Amino acid sequence: MGRWGAVRLPDLIGLLARLILGVVLIWAGAAKVTHPAVSAQAVRAYQLLNYDVAGYVGYALPVLEILVGLLLVTGLFTRVSAAVGGLLMLAFVFGISWAWAHGYALDCGCFGGGGTIAASQTHYPWEILRDAGLAACAAWLVVRPRTAYSLDHRLFG
Amino acid sequence: MRPDASKKIAKATPKSGPNPVIIGAIIAAVVVVAVVVAIVIGNGGKSGSSSAASGNPVPVGVVGGTGGGILASPTTAKPNAPTMDLYEDFQCPLCGELEKALGPQVRALSDAGQIKLVVHMMSFLDSNLGNDSSTRAANAAACAADAGKFLQYHAAVFAGQPAKEGAGYTDAQLTQFAQTAGITGPALTTWQKCTTTAQHAQYVTDVETAAGKAGVTGTPTVKLNGTDISKTLTTPAALVAAVKGATP
Repeated sequence: MGRWGAVRLPDLIGLLARLILGVVLIWAGAAKVTHPAVSAQAVRAYQLLNYDVAGYVGYALPVLEILVGLLLVTGLFTRVSAAVGGLLMLAFVFGISWAWAHGYALDCGCFGGGGTIAASQTHYPWEILRDAGLAACAAWLVVRPRTAYSLDHRLFG
Repeated sequence: MRPDASKKIAKATPKSGPNPVIIGAIIAAVVVVAVVVAIVIGNGGKSGSSSAASGNPVPVGVVGGTGGGILASPTTAKPNAPTMDLYEDFQCPLCGELEKALGPQVRALSDAGQIKLVVHMMSFLDSNLGNDSSTRAANAAACAADAGKFLQYHAAVFAGQPAKEGAGYTDAQLTQFAQTAGITGPALTTWQKCTTTAQHAQYVTDVETAAGKAGVTGTPTVKLNGTDISKTLTTPAALVAAVKGATP
C-alpha cells in the first residue's frame, strides 16, 4: 500500500470502524470523567453490582473509555484496543438489557447523567442498537485490525 | 530502477525502530495506573469519617444507626405500626409529584401513629445537576428536625420546589420554608445557625451512603417494613390499603 497511492477499501472500512468506535468512547468518557460520583451512581442504578464494586466501575470506566478511545483513533494496538472496546460494548448491552428486563426505568448514563427516570423517557431499544453497532465495529477490527492511516502501520510496519 | 524490490528488502531486514512489546507494556501500565488513580480519587471523596466517629451532631429523631433516616413522629406511633421508609431528594421532580399526590395521606398516617414514618433525605442529585441545593435543603431539614418541625419543613420544601429541575433553592427560600414550617423566635435563630454552619453536613453524606448501601438507587423509593412498594403507590387509597395489609 503506497502512501499516496490508492488505499484499499477494507482498510478504509477499518479506518471508519476505528474512528467511530474511538470517537464515541472518548466522547462518552469525557462526559463522565469530571463527575465521578455521578458515574458511580449511574452504575449503581443498574442494581447489578454491589455498592462498592459499582462505585469502582463508575470511577474507572470513564478513564478506560478515554484511553481505549485514544488508542483506537490513533490506530495503536488496534486489535487489542478494539477487543477491549468491544467487550465494553457487550457489557453495556448486557447491563441495559438487564435493566430493561427487570423493569427499571433508567437513563443508561452512557454520556453522563444516568439513574432513574420516568418510564416513558427510556430509550432501551435505541441504546442497545447503538451499542450493538459499536460492538460490530469492534468485531471488524478484531478480525481485521489492519486499517488505513494507523500508528500500527507507521510504527511497526 | 526497481523501488519495489528495495522496499521488500527493507521490510525483510530486522527493524531498529520502536519495539512493540516495550510500547505495549508502557501503554498497559499507563492504563492500569490511570484506572487505579481514578478509583482512588473517586473513593477519596466519600469514605471520610462518619458523623458518629467525628463527633458531629446527629439531628434529633435519627433511627437505625449511622446515616439512618429521621423518625417523623417519634411520640405518636403505635407499637404495632409498620415502618415506612421514604427515600427522597429535595430536587427530585418525581418526589415532588409523590408528595403532591400522597404527602398529606402519609402525614395523616404518621400523625395518627398508624405508621412509623422514617424519612431519608438523599442528595445525589447535586452532582447530577451541578449545584448543592439537595445537600443544603437536606441539612436545613435536619436542622428543622432539631426544632421538632421536620415533617413541616419537609412539606414546605416540596411545596416550594422549583418547576424547572436544577433551579435549586436559595438560602432565602430555605429560610422562608422554616417560617412556613412554624419555626419562630429563638428556635429560628438556632435553626439559622445550624443551616449557615452546615451542622449536619456529615449526617447528610452518611444518609446518602447508607441509602446506597441499602440498595436505594433512585428516588422516590418507599419501603414498607423493608419491602419496596414504590411501584404500587398510585393513590392515597392504595397507600392506606398497603399500610393496613402490613399492620398485624
